[in-house]
Amino acid sequence: MRSTLRRLLVLALALTMVFGVAACGDDEDTGDSGNAGTSAQEEGTPAAKTGGDAVTNLTSFPDYMDPALSYTQEGWQALWTVYTPLLTYQHEEGAGGATLIPGLAEAMPEISEDGKTYTMKLREGLKYSDGKAVKASDFEHTVKRVLNLESGGSAFYLGIVGAEEYLKAGKAKGDISGIETDDATGEITIKLKEADGSFPYVLAMDFVGIVPGDTPFENTTKNPPAGVGPFKIENMRQSRGFDLVKNEQFPQIEGIPAAKLDKVSVNVVKTQSRQTQDIIQNKVDYALDPPPNDQLREVKAQYGDRYEEFVTNSTYYFFMNLREAPFDKKEVRQAVNFAIDKRALARLFGGGLEPGCNFLPPGMQGYQKVDPCPYGDPTQAPNIEKARELIKQAGAEGASVKVFGNDEDPSKPVAEYLSDVLNQIGLKAKPQIIEGSVYFQTIGNQKTKAQIGFANWFQDFPHPRNFMFLVDPKSIQDTNNQNFGNVDDPEIGKKLADANKKPIEEAAAEYAEVDKRLVDEAYVAPYGHRKLANFVSERIDFENCTVTHPVYQLDFTQLCLK
Amino acid sequence: MAALPAGSLFFEKPLMATSSDPATTIPDQDPSEILTEPGGGKPAAGTGPWRLAGRRLRRNKVALAFGALFVLLVLVALSAPLFANHVADTGPNTNHLSDVITIDGEQKNVVEFDGVPIGPQGLAADGRFVLGADRNGRDVMVRLLYGARNSLFIGITASIITAVLAVFLGLLAGYFRGWVDAVISRGLDILWAFPVLLLGIALGVSLSLGGLDLGIFSIEGNSLWIPTLIIGLVGIVYLARPIRGQVLSLREKEFVEAARAQGASDWRIMFKELLPNLLSTILVFFPVLVANAVSLEAALSFLGAGVQPPEPSWGTMLGEGIDLLISAPHLTIVPGAMLTLTVLSLNVFGDGVRDALDPRAKVRLEH
Repeated sequence: MRSTLRRLLVLALALTMVFGVAACGDDEDTGDSGNAGTSAQEEGTPAAKTGGDAVTNLTSFPDYMDPALSYTQEGWQALWTVYTPLLTYQHEEGAGGATLIPGLAEAMPEISEDGKTYTMKLREGLKYSDGKAVKASDFEHTVKRVLNLESGGSAFYLGIVGAEEYLKAGKAKGDISGIETDDATGEITIKLKEADGSFPYVLAMDFVGIVPGDTPFENTTKNPPAGVGPFKIENMRQSRGFDLVKNEQFPQIEGIPAAKLDKVSVNVVKTQSRQTQDIIQNKVDYALDPPPNDQLREVKAQYGDRYEEFVTNSTYYFFMNLREAPFDKKEVRQAVNFAIDKRALARLFGGGLEPGCNFLPPGMQGYQKVDPCPYGDPTQAPNIEKARELIKQAGAEGASVKVFGNDEDPSKPVAEYLSDVLNQIGLKAKPQIIEGSVYFQTIGNQKTKAQIGFANWFQDFPHPRNFMFLVDPKSIQDTNNQNFGNVDDPEIGKKLADANKKPIEEAAAEYAEVDKRLVDEAYVAPYGHRKLANFVSERIDFENCTVTHPVYQLDFTQLCLK
Repeated sequence: MAALPAGSLFFEKPLMATSSDPATTIPDQDPSEILTEPGGGKPAAGTGPWRLAGRRLRRNKVALAFGALFVLLVLVALSAPLFANHVADTGPNTNHLSDVITIDGEQKNVVEFDGVPIGPQGLAADGRFVLGADRNGRDVMVRLLYGARNSLFIGITASIITAVLAVFLGLLAGYFRGWVDAVISRGLDILWAFPVLLLGIALGVSLSLGGLDLGIFSIEGNSLWIPTLIIGLVGIVYLARPIRGQVLSLREKEFVEAARAQGASDWRIMFKELLPNLLSTILVFFPVLVANAVSLEAALSFLGAGVQPPEPSWGTMLGEGIDLLISAPHLTIVPGAMLTLTVLSLNVFGDGVRDALDPRAKVRLEH
């Protein structure tokens, strides 16, 4: 009896294990890269272009998940798909993506003769993702939040009549006299203090992605408000990630496609190498940061069919402080331009730099290639001898120079390279490396007297004014100065003052002239434009669904699975 | 950290009882039998303690080998300019980003277009890039040798600073006791409370930008003296406390009383009577201090708070190489190996010195 009972128990245990394993089932459908897709896929039909989930990574959590406050690529890439401003961009690559279209406004603004008054009308029947109706007055509330919360984007809106007074009054619910709205008709009128040809682009910035009129005057990162966009934000995991979930309330707006995916999960993974490895193993579908230099070879060689580089609207350059010797002399500045080897610098970026001569990037409106480049072909060897001659001519041999850079890659090796080059041409240079988080404040403080150093700029919007403020005499300040070289050329100042008032179609040639003068007078030493990359998992339909927007990079609304 | 040599006959002055010293001779015993050689055998009649220690050290082949290794590393470091000028034909900070070299008749980029530098070439490139190039196209071998000079300069000089200040403070605290001891000991306690690395980073980062300006002299932010002084200061606590402890014990000895009775001043007693008896402790600690200083310098430089670019040190080289760990592992392996060898050789040699100077198991009074 006893041995029979033992056998029965063993048999029962074995059966339990068999049925238990069968009950656990197969988890392939909900693997690490998220939901595989729609029922159409499960029925064995060809992979659908809509539906499914994707997982993406960031190395750092966005500065804010509040459209009024966020001023980083991490924030903008997501928020663009959640909060639509009155004007927005076409969801296309290249020049098409830099073209403005009506967003929540039903048409492009009517601009008065003097360029100071913008009139628009809100589309009818718009609803936020929580079902509430969108009102015209919500636009003024949105702008007030930008100003009241002292957003990094406040400066863009201080040109509106009454904006400065609103700020000074310090009352959150006060009035901005230059913005008039009518909820009944949906009309919105904006008055500017002076004409500004870039203002349409300012209206398309994420800062004024419209939010409900009851959104509090505080940082809403922990609990973002509803918006009008292809996605809505859910499952906010403070500092760790969030989900973008398809917004079923999003209306059909020409030029703004509905989201193809059901959900995009955005998670923070602090190391680029880990992110890249996860994409290689298809655990993650995309990461904002491109693969690090160390893994680029492997990625390009083995996964080139899902890797693509693109040139951004950015410029990397060396500022040269015209108020500090020896860079107050044109010959010395020209010598620097002759001496820098842009092919060498491109190597420090792991090949991720497009050498150039201009200050404006090639994709920018108003760009006209300076050809021939007065300092030699950027893709050829530099002219060290000429540089040495110019240094002698200027009487600057042996001049002591500190080359400023920060400890973030690749600024440090770039600063070390420039020091070596300056030593080769007869100056006495040493790098001065500063911690990244305080670098720009330090070189932007006149007391630092930074002579020369690393600088770069990525566009906020595709208008040359957004670059030219870096060399505009009006921008010079004692602290938080962004015109690091203290470029104070009257001709440039006059041209920019004129061009900034005009629509871009009329101003493009003037911006091109300013760009050429910057190069000829060697006010800056630009050396290239950054190349970034999209690298996606095998799950993503790379050929058809990876659209790189010139402002927001990979467009999540058009991302889809195979 | 090496153990304090206890029970050392170096505490007494005159330093060690000899067979002819009646004070230590046991009556009715052959004085020559009182002191025995290690392992027995013929008594070391008339052998001074330093000679004995030297003899013990010479018998420790492992310690000697590592000591010789350290000396070799120092000599190699000193030869850096010779190698740079006559072999590699380049300086430690010269970038060769776009250069092309010929290896076995084939043209190779020093740094490829994708940013990956050339690996170790041995002797294939006529002495150039023997250990490869770094991300800026600089010769790794040249930077390694110059880095050795910087790392060893900082390590040794900082240890000398530590030793001088620690001995001085320990002497003052242990001899005077009372409020002097209280003030110095509390100061050391405060210093002890700070994690060494964090303190080093805080000081290194803040001084690297503006430098140090004390009125009578100033030091530029990128000078090697900044990390040297920082490491020298943070290491004081490790030696000052044991020195203080020893002085507290020594000041009660008869020879100190005798000196006082003869009218010697406090300063004379401290520096003429006590200090010589601390030499063995200092000698034991010193190699370990240097090893710790070299390690700390590497850590600070790795984190950007030590040696400032473009000056090389093993720590900065490790920091620069970490971004290319997969595609150019030589950038981390080479300086890492040098750092390991140096610290290991100092620690093993230091252990040998400690064993040689600690006669507890070797020399004792026989009954």
